[in-house]
Amino acid sequence: MNPLVETLIFRGLLFDALGVVGLGLLGIAAVRLSLRHRSWGGTMMALGAVALLVARLYFILAPHFLNNDMLLAIGPVGISLTIALPPLLLSFGLAGIVWGLWGHERWVREETGGKRA
Amino acid sequence: MRFAESMQLGSIEAIRPVFMIVMGVFLMLIAWRLCKTTEVWTARLIVSGSLLLGIGYALLLPLYDAGLIERFSPASGATALGWHAVKMVVMNCGWLFLGIGLAMHAKVFPSFPPPRRFSPSPLVSPAHSPLTAPRESIG
Repeated sequence: MNPLVETLIFRGLLFDALGVVGLGLLGIAAVRLSLRHRSWGGTMMALGAVALLVARLYFILAPHFLNNDMLLAIGPVGISLTIALPPLLLSFGLAGIVWGLWGHERWVREETGGKRA
Repeated sequence: MRFAESMQLGSIEAIRPVFMIVMGVFLMLIAWRLCKTTEVWTARLIVSGSLLLGIGYALLLPLYDAGLIERFSPASGATALGWHAVKMVVMNCGWLFLGIGLAMHAKVFPSFPPPRRFSPSPLVSPAHSPLTAPRESIG
């Protein structure tokens, strides 16, 4: 197979990078919104973006360091954590971003409504 | 027996696709409502990003979880490869567009002054052109 296609599709290098850049921009925007407008929606969005970034980083890095020796070293509790934590982080990240976006949208609506009134 | 079946329906594995469908639809709705108060390109980017993410979370990932789409592995065929490519494009470009749109909404990027337009059309008289107007006001 073409090495370019293999890098892009099999390893997902380009698209993973695009997703990480997008999540980073979303986190920066959320922090800026929460600092400037003091809206809790921005804080929730930033926490969600960080959770999604951590989960994505784990999925990218795990094949490189998670081997049998590592699993033996971390024990059953650690193995359970490696199974349970990534889906929890993904779910919490998505919920945080959607919840924060909802809070920010309500804040914007109240601001524009207040200015009109 | 029925209790066990209902417990399976309430398990995390069963709830996760429902959660993703609800979140995807909710994300599209909120982004659409938010875009009524933003500028044109910001609104376009936020709406396109949320649409891509909504399709990904509400349609593609539940189909993967339901087993209707074959999961990708290096030994799988062209269909699984195509769906894998679609999933990667939809999810990652969705986050990228939504991130750029929200960054523009939060004014993360410095806004450059708009390019000055020189209109050589004869309809605009020199007295009303922006280059001569301040001088006249001073004089």
